[in-house]
Amino acid sequence: MPRVFVTGIGLITSIGNDAASVTSSLRELRHGFELYPPFQPDDIPVKVAAPVKGFQTDSTDPEDWTFPERYRIRREVIRGMAPHGVYAWCAMQQAIEDAKLAEADYSNAHTGLYAASGGSPHLMGHMLQRMHTLGVMRCSPLGIVASISGTLNFNLVAHFRIKGASCGFSSACASSSHALGYAYDDLTLGRQKRMFVVGAEDGNVDSILPFAGMRALSLQKDPVLASRPFDAARDGFVGTGGAAVLVLETEDEVARRGAKVYCEVAGWGQASDGHNVAISHPDGEGLRQAIEHALRSSGTPAEAVDYINAHATSTPIGDISEARALKAVFKTPEKRPAVSSTKALTGHGLSLAGAMESAFCALSIRDGFMPGSAHISRLDPECEGLNIIRSTQAAAPNVVLNNSSGFGGANVSLVFRRAT
Amino acid sequence: MKPVAPEEEAALRESLKRCSPSTFEAAIQFRKTGNPEHLPAVVIGVIERFVEPDLRVKLKDADDDLRLIEDLGIDSLTMMEIVILVEDVLQMSINNDELRNLRTVGDVKTFIDCKVRGLPLPMPTKFLPIEQIAATMPIQPPFLFLNEASVSSSGANAKYKISGQEFFLQGHFKDNPVMPASIMLEALGQLAVLYLLEGLTPEPGKVVNPQMIFFTGCEGVRAHRVCKPGDILTLSIKPKRMKMPLATFEGAIRVGQEKAVIAEEITLTFGFSEVVVQPAPAAAGSGEGVNGSAPSSTPLRVAASA
Repeated sequence: MPRVFVTGIGLITSIGNDAASVTSSLRELRHGFELYPPFQPDDIPVKVAAPVKGFQTDSTDPEDWTFPERYRIRREVIRGMAPHGVYAWCAMQQAIEDAKLAEADYSNAHTGLYAASGGSPHLMGHMLQRMHTLGVMRCSPLGIVASISGTLNFNLVAHFRIKGASCGFSSACASSSHALGYAYDDLTLGRQKRMFVVGAEDGNVDSILPFAGMRALSLQKDPVLASRPFDAARDGFVGTGGAAVLVLETEDEVARRGAKVYCEVAGWGQASDGHNVAISHPDGEGLRQAIEHALRSSGTPAEAVDYINAHATSTPIGDISEARALKAVFKTPEKRPAVSSTKALTGHGLSLAGAMESAFCALSIRDGFMPGSAHISRLDPECEGLNIIRSTQAAAPNVVLNNSSGFGGANVSLVFRRAT
Repeated sequence: MKPVAPEEEAALRESLKRCSPSTFEAAIQFRKTGNPEHLPAVVIGVIERFVEPDLRVKLKDADDDLRLIEDLGIDSLTMMEIVILVEDVLQMSINNDELRNLRTVGDVKTFIDCKVRGLPLPMPTKFLPIEQIAATMPIQPPFLFLNEASVSSSGANAKYKISGQEFFLQGHFKDNPVMPASIMLEALGQLAVLYLLEGLTPEPGKVVNPQMIFFTGCEGVRAHRVCKPGDILTLSIKPKRMKMPLATFEGAIRVGQEKAVIAEEITLTFGFSEVVVQPAPAAAGSGEGVNGSAPSSTPLRVAASA
């Protein structure tokens, strides 16, 4: 079975629009939260979000959008995109550059792209409203491909001329971790030589605020207090958007191209709670199972894990479930790996989260640090006994886990290992 | 003049915000007056807005033959964007079947004009490569002077490149090959023949018989420019009158933007296919067939050069 390596990363996030600035934000625990202007009307109780900076995508007309100077997007490309399509397009450019890929390297039948996003509720809403007011034939011709779930893979595969495997994954907040897991499988099975894994979300009013209905969002008015996974006073997650791209390549391709690698993808596992459509299992049963599958499939003993990038989104129920799952897998309190949730800095990226945090894991292995779990002033007693690191550790982890859990009780755990 | 409410004007301005100011002006004038004269400016303005900036220059001095897909890079989705904006601005609706035939800027202009005036829709422009021209025409090489042509209901256009290999250039003139004006007139006549065969039929339901088209006469012919090997002749004809057995056209030849030949009237005689094929009646006897045209006996006034 060929080994699989991460060879490129692209990031557009609330804490930085490239790998270098994201790395320094993670190291220095700089968050991306603000009192998000569209949330400030009195009738909206949610105030804080972690928007992407340097982009303006509020309009329903893509030709109004602005983005950093270094990117050029033609009208005929941008017209079928959602805001998160633009973020992902930029992150793709970064990842391709970072992995030093020429077009011939990735536009071929051996290179695929797996993507995940929740679609664009904002553009979908606009399109339907247009249809109902102006008539069916006045729907924007590209309204569908810009807004439905799958918009990300449609656009990126076409515009980057991807010719291998392509599809979208839809397991809510576990989506892009699923995408990465299955991309790994296709590489180890010899079906592909290189895979782009993309997660992205709009992270705007229409993609975040509907979560208020299920009381999943923090109502904190202080940007520093809103997202605090594992803290006893946490009251919900803070929404974010952006895009993350990882380039995965087989060892043969790495050798052929002489590519630099961030780390190895060592394996993954998944399992489902079979419990509730929206609430995680109280004991984190599915997540525990997913982690155990991941460790087994990668041949990793539990004691070998150095750092876990937790799913923990700062919701009262979810964080406890994960804490219990971790305690169940990592039984010996003294030997427990370092744990942090970088959602304390970025907010929760939904379908973006898995790929974004996998990129964080790759950066943490390559650059030799473990980002702290920010904003904890009083640890939830349920989390005591776990090695939750409150500040960034300079120690270089060898084995890192990235957990993700989505609606329906879908759980994914990915294992990354220092390349040897 | 119909008053336009301020909110309506604002909505129109918003719809056309990425078009040139003159597009908005034309659209508002059209809203106020209903005068179709403003339509071409609106249509060109809307098309221009959807064309990639580096191709927009082509629209500046565009003739109506400029092709949407091949010349302007407009794909079918962009075409839909254009249609939706035009529908919005001109307050009309256009269905899919009507769209399929729009291939040139001229097609679009004519189409919108017909829609607004409530006229029946024109036939789409047909593009004929040399093979198809040769298959259709009674005239054949080496005496066929059309390399490619387009035919719509309103007329026909063609190009012919003077190769220098034309047999008559050996003698016309000594050591100085110049395209004879008579041959240029012949080429216009050939384009008129093509229009009779591929364009609007003079009587609905009837088909012109290619064996029965002959040259009868021409009026007001002037040659303005010496045309030589390497020149690309752009020919155009428009029907003026068509009534069995005569069809009269006006014709012009340009090289680039320069006038080369003008013919105020070129008249052909024709017959329909149902008629038993037989030698053409009197008219053909007096003039020369386009096949063997050597325009001389008719009131031909070739002004200069050749």
